[in-house]
Amino acid sequence: MTGFVELDVRPILRSGGEPFTQIMQAVQGLAPGQGLRLFATFKPAPLLSLMGSRGFTHEARELAGGDWQVDFTPAVSPPAPAAKAAGAAPAGSEDWPAPLRELDNRQLDPPEPMVRTLAALEVLAPGQVLAALLCREPVFLFQELQKRGHSWRGGFEPDGTTYRVLIRAGTPPPGAAA
Amino acid sequence: MPAMPGATLSRWTPAYFAAAVLFLLLAEALMVAGFGYPATGLRSPETLALVHCVTLGWLSLLMLGALFQFVPVLVAGPIHSNELPLPTLVLILLGLGTLVAGFLQLAGRLPFIPATFLATTVLLSGGFGLALWNLGRTLYAARPLNLPAQFVTIGLASVAATVSFGIIFTLGFGGYARTLPLANLQAHGLPLHIIAGLAGWLTFTAIGVSHRLLAMFMLSPELDGPTTRWTLRLGCAALAIVIGAGAVVASAGHDPGLVLLVAGLTGLGCLALYARDAVQLYRKRLRPLIELNSRMAGVALGHLAGATVLLIVLVASGLLARHAGALVFLVCFGWLSGLGLAMLYKIVAFVTWLECYGPVLGKTPTPRVQDLVVEPRAARWFWLYFAAVDAATLALLAGMPLVFRAAAFAMCAATAGIAFELARTRRLVNVGSELRLPAGSRPPRLLSTFVPS
Repeated sequence: MTGFVELDVRPILRSGGEPFTQIMQAVQGLAPGQGLRLFATFKPAPLLSLMGSRGFTHEARELAGGDWQVDFTPAVSPPAPAAKAAGAAPAGSEDWPAPLRELDNRQLDPPEPMVRTLAALEVLAPGQVLAALLCREPVFLFQELQKRGHSWRGGFEPDGTTYRVLIRAGTPPPGAAA
Repeated sequence: MPAMPGATLSRWTPAYFAAAVLFLLLAEALMVAGFGYPATGLRSPETLALVHCVTLGWLSLLMLGALFQFVPVLVAGPIHSNELPLPTLVLILLGLGTLVAGFLQLAGRLPFIPATFLATTVLLSGGFGLALWNLGRTLYAARPLNLPAQFVTIGLASVAATVSFGIIFTLGFGGYARTLPLANLQAHGLPLHIIAGLAGWLTFTAIGVSHRLLAMFMLSPELDGPTTRWTLRLGCAALAIVIGAGAVVASAGHDPGLVLLVAGLTGLGCLALYARDAVQLYRKRLRPLIELNSRMAGVALGHLAGATVLLIVLVASGLLARHAGALVFLVCFGWLSGLGLAMLYKIVAFVTWLECYGPVLGKTPTPRVQDLVVEPRAARWFWLYFAAVDAATLALLAGMPLVFRAAAFAMCAATAGIAFELARTRRLVNVGSELRLPAGSRPPRLLSTFVPS
């Protein structure tokens, strides 16, 4: 029988906050075989597909008063992690899956593009890809991607002003800060 | 292991910034005490000691510390060595110490030891040589260079010329290098040293750096159009005329006045184009509300424009020789120091934030960069600083030394206020305790940055 860790993000949502990082921390803290029981003020559709990509099945039901309870249960076999070396990957060296998300960070003040990109990467399963549009080459982001074991491909678009980077989530190197 | 792409944090930049700010405070305290110009002559040893505390101790250390961090960002590549900046700093500090001691010896305030100036020569050429080697290798590895990096390259060439002229003078003070061309240069070359330093090294590098930093922090389009390219070309030409033709004329025993006039007109063209670019950067920004650093950089740019107008008026009225001190003061404190303090305010917060919270971004709630600063408090110090600089410049022009010292006191107080704010930012004092140090983040040290090896 699967045990559940309960997480109620309704207070955060009602105060206008963003519970994403708390949810991901809770997911990271789960023991093998353990599930997550989430309480929210709406059905968190984007989260369902993201958790699915991390190897969780879900069961969502509406509670009295319009709130939702979602039980995430780990599938028997998680998706195989891509055991590739981190770093800038030469273009065309292998096929990457289509990006799951496309972030447009061109209108954000530095360092918000970096914060947003790293937060979005936290929910990807190894091997999944996200794309980000930036208004300059993200020199500090690359360092952080390298440390976290992700790989990337990037370059300026033909317009010469938009920098598009594709990042493929890797497995964190041993000893990396949790 | 192959070189990491992107830029790392510069390990010793905080130490450069701390040393620089201490020299600014020292120089301002000396002005309050009535040391050097206007109490003594413009070329008196006391004034020379004071001027080098400002230009070497404050402005050059600030610029070098900033470049060790900023050149890798400009070229999107790693610095050649993240360790060399520490011996570089030690050599420059020792060199500056012996230089000031030498000037005090010339003033009769210390017993004269000719070898002091010889030591200065070795220490400063060693320090700047290391800095040029390190930054030069970083730039060389990143060719072809973008426009801001080309500005920095010209700035670095100018500092090499400035230090070379300085060494020739220093050897002369110590009684060395008395052969004819060098003695001629010692007699006529002072304007070349000043212009290569203030215009070539400090202003031209600041132009290149400000193009990128202002675009970055105001979300303005990057400048790489014809205006910017001509700013670079005209500036290059003006500096080549001053340094090249000026050195030839001066070492032949002639006054380089005509050369300076031609270079000055070329330089004015460069400054006019830069003014146009700077206005574009502010006009085309996507952020309606801009942060304190960009606002205060605008005030500093206004002081550059003011100094340019003052230069034209003084040359046209034949009063340049009489008021050169006020002009140099306005360039050093209104433009260069004003811009430097404004940029420091942002860079310290940004670098500290990246060092401390970079490893945990996206994994846990972190403060924003702006949570590290309290702008309304710092803004008061900045306005006091600029008002005091304006008052001090007017006092110099009007020949009122006591008013100048009072204004210098206000500058000193304002600088101390800004320095206190910078230290608070670096120590994360302004961040609420619940967000200050989440698990996995590391507390920043005051004088060095943690760089994982």
